[in-house]
Amino acid sequence: MLDKLENVLGPIAEKLNNNKVLIAIRDGFLISTPLIIGASVFLLIQNFPINGYSEFMASIFGENWSTYLGAVSGATFSLLAMINVICIGYVYARELGSEGMVGGIVALVSFLILTPQSHPNFVNDAGKSFSGFAYSNLGSSGLFLGMICAIVSVLIFNKIEKKGWVIKMPAGVPPMVAMSFSALIPAFFSMTFFFLLRIGVSLTSYNFAHDMIMEVLQAPLMGLGRLPIFPVLYQFFSTLFWFFGINGPAVTNTVFSPITTVLTQENLSVFLEFGMKADLPNIYTASFSDFFGNYGGGGSTLSLVICMLFFAKSQRLKQLGRLSIVPGIFGVNEMVIFGLPVVLNPIILVPFILVPVMNISLGYIATAIGLIPRTFGISIPWTMPIFFSGWLATGSFKAAFFQIFLLILGILVYYPFFKVLDKQYLEEETKGLESETDELDDISLSDISFD
Amino acid sequence: MKRVYLFCNAGMSTSLLASKMQEVATQYNLPIEVKAFSDSKMEDIVSQFNPDVILLGPQVKYLEKETKAKYEPNTPVEVINLEDYGKVNGERVLKFAISLIKNKGKG
Repeated sequence: MLDKLENVLGPIAEKLNNNKVLIAIRDGFLISTPLIIGASVFLLIQNFPINGYSEFMASIFGENWSTYLGAVSGATFSLLAMINVICIGYVYARELGSEGMVGGIVALVSFLILTPQSHPNFVNDAGKSFSGFAYSNLGSSGLFLGMICAIVSVLIFNKIEKKGWVIKMPAGVPPMVAMSFSALIPAFFSMTFFFLLRIGVSLTSYNFAHDMIMEVLQAPLMGLGRLPIFPVLYQFFSTLFWFFGINGPAVTNTVFSPITTVLTQENLSVFLEFGMKADLPNIYTASFSDFFGNYGGGGSTLSLVICMLFFAKSQRLKQLGRLSIVPGIFGVNEMVIFGLPVVLNPIILVPFILVPVMNISLGYIATAIGLIPRTFGISIPWTMPIFFSGWLATGSFKAAFFQIFLLILGILVYYPFFKVLDKQYLEEETKGLESETDELDDISLSDISFD
Repeated sequence: MKRVYLFCNAGMSTSLLASKMQEVATQYNLPIEVKAFSDSKMEDIVSQFNPDVILLGPQVKYLEKETKAKYEPNTPVEVINLEDYGKVNGERVLKFAISLIKNKGKG
């Protein structure tokens, strides 16, 4: 049974990991992540979750203190679709064997060709309408269109380039110059395609591609993402992959992250507008998933590690507990996965899958009934330890204590299964089974030389 | 200087193992540099530094075939043993890496 499942999941992981479009979207988001986390720090300073903080800051720096910090959000969160278009275009071009930077720029221009550039509803005193790009089209609401533009534009670029329809410079021309000429015709094809697409869309009942994608794709997908089953499925599959020794989220994120990212950004844009009083639209966001599903890594093994630290009788589990507690606090648990091992270990399977699914379900219910507040949608690194992560993600200590509650509940679920394993290891140890040795142990490190 | 480069998804847990391996190497004065990276950077890193061995964390075992196809036989590619990985056994994994360097080109 387990073998069969492994034979199914292994190839799925390989396929998803080799799909260039999915890689481009996943790794593209990864490139922008440090910026988003950085900007989140500014946002946290602006909205630190303590009563009276805002008044305190105003008394020191003056009434306008938060305007300066707001410039950082404007340069990152409000342009999120634009930033990700460049990143996704860059990775996709690189994956297809084109110049990454050129791909990023082609993607950006293609996206902007489809974006409204004049706003007849905004007129100045002289009666001239405002022209320029608006945040509302470049932020979270443009994310899906951005992904599509990046993929399509780079695909066109690459196809034309591969056909050899490029201007070739004679030898001796500096490579940078040659590159700009060779990109000329392929880039022109991408731009023409999006130019025609813009005209095409304007002939439909939608004026702009943004409205069209929003209505036919983004809104229905978001509806799907708002169903409570969505986070549960995500947790279940991520953990199941881990059970077979495959990095679960790395696989599941390729499918889930486009939706999760938009849900997260929706919360963030409401939060940017209304601050701590915001009425946030989504329960499930990236930080909800990071901080209410798993404590100490996949399978929520921090609970298991705590069992090992305090209740283990076998040497093996005692040592493993000591080894994995510090990384576990920061959400890294490969030692447990491969050292316990969790991998293909039928005894630990039940709690390993049950605890994260239980956590995310209870977290969802607790948020839905208002026991803990919703997450802002700001990015906090997934390595942020429990308690702090819950507090910073929601601005409430209630969420921090709720995390502790889930951690303890996890200990109770893991404990009986942990006991079975501990007993088994203890018996092996008292029988004095010798650990196996192989040729690696024969290598002596003191007389190695490389030539 | 021999380069032993480890790859996993975020380069988190491999970096823990890499630092243990580096410790052991330094202790024995071996001219070996052990570093860990995210698998998404593999292509750039490998073309830039041309490591002597590529080791994959067991959680990215599914990259094995693809990586081997790309870099072998020039650079040996292997997945780290589950148990050594779980115990963060820097010494054994370092020995494993050394044996791979030594056997390179021998068939």
